[in-house]
Amino acid sequence: MFSPGEIILQQTVNGLILGCFYALISLGYTMVYGIVRLLNFAHGDIYMVGAFVGFFVFGALAAITGTGWLSIILAMVAAMFLCGVLGFLIQRFAYRPLLDAPRLSLLITAIGVSLILQNAMMILTNGEFKFFNHSVNPRAGISLGNVTITWIQMVLLGITAVLLISLTWFVSKTIWGKAMRAISMDRPTCRLMGINVNTIIGITFFIGSALAAVAGVMACVYYGNVHYFMGYIMGMKAFTAAVIGGIGSIPGAMLGGLLLGLLEAGGTQVLGSSWKDVFAFGILIIMLIFKPTGLLGKTEVERM
Amino acid sequence: MKKKWFLLITLILALSIFMLACGDKEEEPPAPGVTTDAPDETDAPDETDAPEVPAGGVFTIGALLPMTGPEAYYGNDMYQSYQMAIDEINEAGGVLGYTFEIFNEDDACDAAQAATAGSKIISAEPDIVVGGYCSGATIPALQQFYDANLVVLVSAANSTNITDLALEQTFMVNSPGTHGVQTLTKLAKSLGVTKIATIHQGDDYTKNLSDIVERDMPGDGFEIVAVEVMEKGAADVSAIVTAIRNAGAELVYWCGYHADGSNVIKQLRQGGYEGEIVCGDGSSSVDLITGSGEAGEGVYVTSPPYVELAEGGTEYVAKYEELYGQPPGGYSTLCYDTIYVIKEAIEEAGSIEYEALRLAVENIDYPGMSGRIKFAENHELAESNFMIVKIENGEFVLVEVD
Repeated sequence: MFSPGEIILQQTVNGLILGCFYALISLGYTMVYGIVRLLNFAHGDIYMVGAFVGFFVFGALAAITGTGWLSIILAMVAAMFLCGVLGFLIQRFAYRPLLDAPRLSLLITAIGVSLILQNAMMILTNGEFKFFNHSVNPRAGISLGNVTITWIQMVLLGITAVLLISLTWFVSKTIWGKAMRAISMDRPTCRLMGINVNTIIGITFFIGSALAAVAGVMACVYYGNVHYFMGYIMGMKAFTAAVIGGIGSIPGAMLGGLLLGLLEAGGTQVLGSSWKDVFAFGILIIMLIFKPTGLLGKTEVERM
Repeated sequence: MKKKWFLLITLILALSIFMLACGDKEEEPPAPGVTTDAPDETDAPDETDAPEVPAGGVFTIGALLPMTGPEAYYGNDMYQSYQMAIDEINEAGGVLGYTFEIFNEDDACDAAQAATAGSKIISAEPDIVVGGYCSGATIPALQQFYDANLVVLVSAANSTNITDLALEQTFMVNSPGTHGVQTLTKLAKSLGVTKIATIHQGDDYTKNLSDIVERDMPGDGFEIVAVEVMEKGAADVSAIVTAIRNAGAELVYWCGYHADGSNVIKQLRQGGYEGEIVCGDGSSSVDLITGSGEAGEGVYVTSPPYVELAEGGTEYVAKYEELYGQPPGGYSTLCYDTIYVIKEAIEEAGSIEYEALRLAVENIDYPGMSGRIKFAENHELAESNFMIVKIENGEFVLVEVD
């Protein structure tokens, strides 16, 4: 049994970890939405592909570098790169030709890409669950009374923090980041100003997909199994997180992800797991009534 | 903005309907000219493409199985098990001159799609219907089969909601959840625990199992301290684990399927839960062992007849592996037996007509691989086929409890 303080601490840790996954994935939604106004419904499946790439690379490396952290990190890097390339290619061949088409065509294309990724992975893996068996002790960590924060959880938090900080730095300090922000404000003008819009959009997809891949490999390590269906729920929740934070806003996506994770953990504790989503989404609806653009979203003026 | 969101939702709805309609790529449609609709025994033996068959024709079996979606692996496994029995029977010359043929429709473990799949099965005019993995995706089709006068043998799904429908032509080849909970009660008594928590997934089968625990076990001196719900395919259950630990549970009964089950076991242990873990029959699979790894050691499963531990099980596994290159799943022998029950019933009835077949199935007493198949008045198995297995050193071992 826990003391009330321990419960709060334990559920906060649970919620934060879940929130890290949501935050990493929702960044991809929000960046892509910010720059091309597309709800990229294939993004949850990029997370799934990332998990599988991590799984296969990890399996191949197990014989050489063992099944510890080294292999996990290498698998993560490989997944980031390959998913980044995949994201770029999807953007290049599926979305770019439609950038100036009505937005609905883009949306349908995104749903199509999502189905393609899911079904391709189903065929490739025979619809089976794959198990990611690493040798890191899942229970070792720091104990505070009844509450244990495991090393794996701390590493996941650490990796997420590093990625979020570097992304923020990238977007606010580098020339690429500046171009990204400019394009999200006014694409035609950027093109006139000599910014290579297509390259920047490609980079955005690359980064968003790489972040989702990190979440995918983290899910492998933390939850231990991968299947072709895993992107669906995560994608939906991450999309929700992006909306909570204000879609298009990068700090908003981070905040929204962590908040949704905490709300779910809190909801499970307070109202029970059958009411957890009712609780989390109830709060979301109330919040959107008062702040329709999300927590950090900007009010957008549509020009006619 | 409102209009856009409306459009988006409409689109998503339209797309899901589209997916429903296209979700049956694996289907092998039966040759329409060959299907004989309940012919009399005296019918002239003609228009069959199997010349060595003396009389009858083709006896078509429609199967309702999840061939896509999260339970696709099991649907496929069940289909292969049916096919194995069918091939054996056909090689031995069929029954009463009939050769068996099977086709499947995909329910994707989804209630809405199951209704569509049920209609498609009926329109293909089979002689009997088998299948049913997810109870939630079986029940919507059952009434349709009743209306179409088709005998149904439900091979795996075992929610008591199926027999509660009291359809005269529907039979459950697998032991119902009540039998599973009786087995759990015995196990819990022998372990000396009293505080039980259940986790289900909100669908017909898993919720039914959890409900039975909640209904039946308090009478035996147990206390149900927590009932939690895990969304299907959700990755994170750490918050649930904390809630369960806080409730002081000594035994957690996982009512769901093996895929999410291995994840739940891992997270229970990761989250510091140290009590007993028992899984329901949906988790009876070697994948539970591989999936849960070290955390799985010492976990119990109230299991349907576990094939390797059954009589003749080793030969069965060997044959199955040779044919399909993978080990048989937890419901394989039930499916295999289902086909042999049909064979027995046809022989008994001497015809494949609905009423004769129905009566023959009702009175069947067949010693199958999965145990004795004999139906009680409510069309559940008369005798429980449940056993208790425990994971020890990465293997299931049989546990005797009395």
